[in-house]
Amino acid sequence: MGMGFGRTEAARVRDWGNRPVGASWPAFDLQLVTYAILLATIGLAMAYSNSVGPGASALDAGSTFTRGLLWTGLAVVAFGIVAVFDYQWLRTFAWPLYLAQIGLLVLTLAVGTGVGGVARWILIGGMAFQFSEIAKILMIVVLASFLGTRGDRAGSLRTIVGAAVLVGPPLVLVMLQPDLGTSLVFGGILVGMLFMSGASLRWLGAIAGAIVVAFPFIWANVLRDYQKERLTAFLNPNPDIQGSGYQLYQSQIAVGSGGWFGKGLTNGTQNQLDFLPVQTTDFVGAILAEELGFLGCIVVFLLFAALIWRILVAGWRSKDPFGMAFASGLASMILFQLVVNFGMVIGIMPITGIPLPFVSHGGASLISLAAGLGIVQSINVRQRRAEW
Amino acid sequence: MSTLSLNGRPEAARRPLRFFVFALAVLLGIGSLSARLFYLQILNASRYTTQAQANRTLLNALPAARGLIYDRDKQALVANVPTYSVKITPADLPLPRRPDVVATLAGLLGLDPADINTAIDSSSGSRFDPVRIASDVPKSTANFIAESRLDLPGVQIDVEARRQYVDGPLLSQVLGYTGPISATQLQALRDKGYLGDDLIGKTGLESVYETALRGTYGQQVVERNAAGQQTKVLETITEPGAGSSLVLTISRREQQMAEEALKWGMQTAGLKRGVIIVMNPQTGEILAMVSLPTYDNNAFARGISNSAYQALLGNPDKPLLNHAVNAHYPPGSTYKLVTGIGGLADGRITPTSQLLTQPFLSIGETKFYEWNKQGWGACDILCGFAHSSDTYFFQVAGMLGIDRLGYWASQLGFGQPTGIDLPGEVSGIVPTNQWKLDTLGQAIFPGETYQAGIGQGYDVVTPIQMINAYSALANGGTLYKPQLVRDIVGPDGSVLQAFQPEVLRKLEVSDKVLKTMREAARNVVLVRHTYNLVDLPIVVAGKSGTAEFGLKDAEGRLPFHSWFVAFVPKDPQKTASDPTGMKAVDRTDSDLAVLAFAYDSRTKGNVATEIVKYYLQMHYGIQEDFRITDLLQRGNFYQSN
Repeated sequence: MGMGFGRTEAARVRDWGNRPVGASWPAFDLQLVTYAILLATIGLAMAYSNSVGPGASALDAGSTFTRGLLWTGLAVVAFGIVAVFDYQWLRTFAWPLYLAQIGLLVLTLAVGTGVGGVARWILIGGMAFQFSEIAKILMIVVLASFLGTRGDRAGSLRTIVGAAVLVGPPLVLVMLQPDLGTSLVFGGILVGMLFMSGASLRWLGAIAGAIVVAFPFIWANVLRDYQKERLTAFLNPNPDIQGSGYQLYQSQIAVGSGGWFGKGLTNGTQNQLDFLPVQTTDFVGAILAEELGFLGCIVVFLLFAALIWRILVAGWRSKDPFGMAFASGLASMILFQLVVNFGMVIGIMPITGIPLPFVSHGGASLISLAAGLGIVQSINVRQRRAEW
Repeated sequence: MSTLSLNGRPEAARRPLRFFVFALAVLLGIGSLSARLFYLQILNASRYTTQAQANRTLLNALPAARGLIYDRDKQALVANVPTYSVKITPADLPLPRRPDVVATLAGLLGLDPADINTAIDSSSGSRFDPVRIASDVPKSTANFIAESRLDLPGVQIDVEARRQYVDGPLLSQVLGYTGPISATQLQALRDKGYLGDDLIGKTGLESVYETALRGTYGQQVVERNAAGQQTKVLETITEPGAGSSLVLTISRREQQMAEEALKWGMQTAGLKRGVIIVMNPQTGEILAMVSLPTYDNNAFARGISNSAYQALLGNPDKPLLNHAVNAHYPPGSTYKLVTGIGGLADGRITPTSQLLTQPFLSIGETKFYEWNKQGWGACDILCGFAHSSDTYFFQVAGMLGIDRLGYWASQLGFGQPTGIDLPGEVSGIVPTNQWKLDTLGQAIFPGETYQAGIGQGYDVVTPIQMINAYSALANGGTLYKPQLVRDIVGPDGSVLQAFQPEVLRKLEVSDKVLKTMREAARNVVLVRHTYNLVDLPIVVAGKSGTAEFGLKDAEGRLPFHSWFVAFVPKDPQKTASDPTGMKAVDRTDSDLAVLAFAYDSRTKGNVATEIVKYYLQMHYGIQEDFRITDLLQRGNFYQSN
């Protein structure tokens, strides 16, 4: 029935001719929302598992679970609001949004708090908020806006240089926090969007080669010692399990002891007895693997694959260069974070503070993703269906 | 390529290949994650499950109550009292916080931070094994530390039982003490369930009977969290089994009397070292064993300070040694028992054959003097032994030769450990030609045989060997193994192992030879070689000894130790039918032998004899005091023998 109604709509669009396309709600992608909600629900389940314990109820005020519920509620609202708006406005406001993004990151550096001399969070009403998460979505918007106007020039070197110049300031600001992981995500988004927008593969390859050549210089002059230690810890066959290798060691024990089906929700000993560090945020994958097992993880991976697929489909269908670029940016970000975060949990990626999208506990990340999905839905419902 | 759509806006160029590549990247990313997950979760599941289990669970030992020690009258000699000890589990103490934690602990416990660090670093166990930092901590300090747990990660307070030795120094050398297990001991004993913070018998009976006393530890599996706190008990694998208790042959009362006698003698004669042993010749049971100076084993059980320990180690009179078994000394004339038995048993002399005692004997240019420089004319064995004639026994030793003399010494248990249930027993030396060839590379000279025959020269014996030899004489020729433990009893009081006399050897001598020597020993007392000992209302037989040692003084005199070893027949009261007591010592029913040894005792008389006399007075409840204090005046007296 939905599809039939959609066809009627498409006919109407054709009739409207040149006029901007209105919302076509039957094109709303239920699948996309369903996968995201399932992933967020699994994240809540992880928060629940971490919140229950001797003398602690998951519903205690301030527990990870109740805060997760609150953020999920806010995320749903954010999604709804953004989806209703016409995403074309974003293009109009791309420059102000870019300035806002840089403003937030400068603010974070100025008044932010964090653990051990870093400035990553801003406390709002007692809750820590990580603006760099918002900045990632704004970055995708700004880049999509830029790439969307390149048209025939998409394959030129100037497209690559221009995009890199745009990404440069936010990336450096995040690196100054310092938050190596998030700055890497910026890089991932940039590469993904350039690739999907038709950037010259030759130039991309040449730049990648240049970065490889420059790597020793970056290693020696840009990275701090603890960052180097974290980046290489996963390569060390005999890690210092009392020191830098502790997280990885405990995480792998949690994952490995999960087996096929896991120990069951709330039964993970590594989780419940606090052997896992930062287990609801960066290492949430370890709880997942420990309590829900290999099969639980595969289900999560499949949900991610389906979600990314639906985002890409939205871009493909939009035929609008901005929509296409935005969808590929969001898909790149989710894929990059999934691989780097989960890879870190299971010891094939360096340890960086990147959340697992939807699943990791964290308000800014969840709301940003919800807003991103809202934009994708806005693209879905406002696509020009003329040739459909 | 971008095109214009119907409405004139730019169309996005669709790039199917790039979408395809992106989809491949998604598959590749998820595929790699899945492959790694499969490797960890499926292929290595058991390994990580084990590690998670090891993370989570801790095998806790449930200590068993250590068995007690009683004297032969079932009086407790040791108690287990609860004390607080402070321990650190290195794995739970983060390195960056260690200096603070160590400094705080050092302040609270009055310890040197360096000592605490040494204790942590020298622990041989795993990082998860608690290391003992302090024992016997006052309750208030223990409570404070327990409450400061958040500031002192890895620090724990354990309540554990400490040994409290009821009589302290009285029995230290016999009982020994318990203390923290050493790294080398732990290595050897870890398989038997010993833990890094365990207490173990360090010396004395506590160490020899460690296995019986310790009991068996129980085992409990507990769950712990990452902070090391125990969250719950998962399973009790085995309940602890309390250790067995010891009932000693020692009588606390006899021990006290023996100690009093020895202390009196040493004080009166100004001595620094002495030994007294009381034994039942019928069984080998030790009734009392005192070695002075002594130490307080409670100091060790509490955890002795390094300075106090160094002071004990540095004391020239070696209070940590049990001089009854851990040290050997020249026996002097008490050794003439060996020469006498050998001469009679080998038929070199008969009980009635006479030898001429003289001022001296000569071998070549060398003169071997009688101790009184005169002699007693012609003497039989009774006369020679009673007056302790050196020239008599020079001749007997000469007739025997060094190897037969050594043979008979071995028969009587010299030159070998008696096997008493105490650690560190020394063997003494019985010189023979072979021994001297092995150690000094030449054969014995004839003069050395003379010296050996009177317990000088190379002869050295332990007090326990000496009393054991005289016990064999007293009981008619059976050399028993001296024993300190009567029974090992279980926690419920049932006897697990009852005392059995252990025969080391039946002497290869006729009853007649031994009877002659017992009469000779009685004659020692009768001829007043031991002053007024004969006046005691009981029949005592024995032999004194004066053993030179060390270096000559300005007047050419050597310092000397004095010995006296005695045995008393059963029913020792003198009777009209046996006024001399000779018939009493013909019997082999003696159940009391006493030995006193006084180190470096340059007194007019024989201190050891006075000590034995005083002990016998107390033991038999003799009211009249026969001690002759004058004899104990200290000075550079010539030996009296």
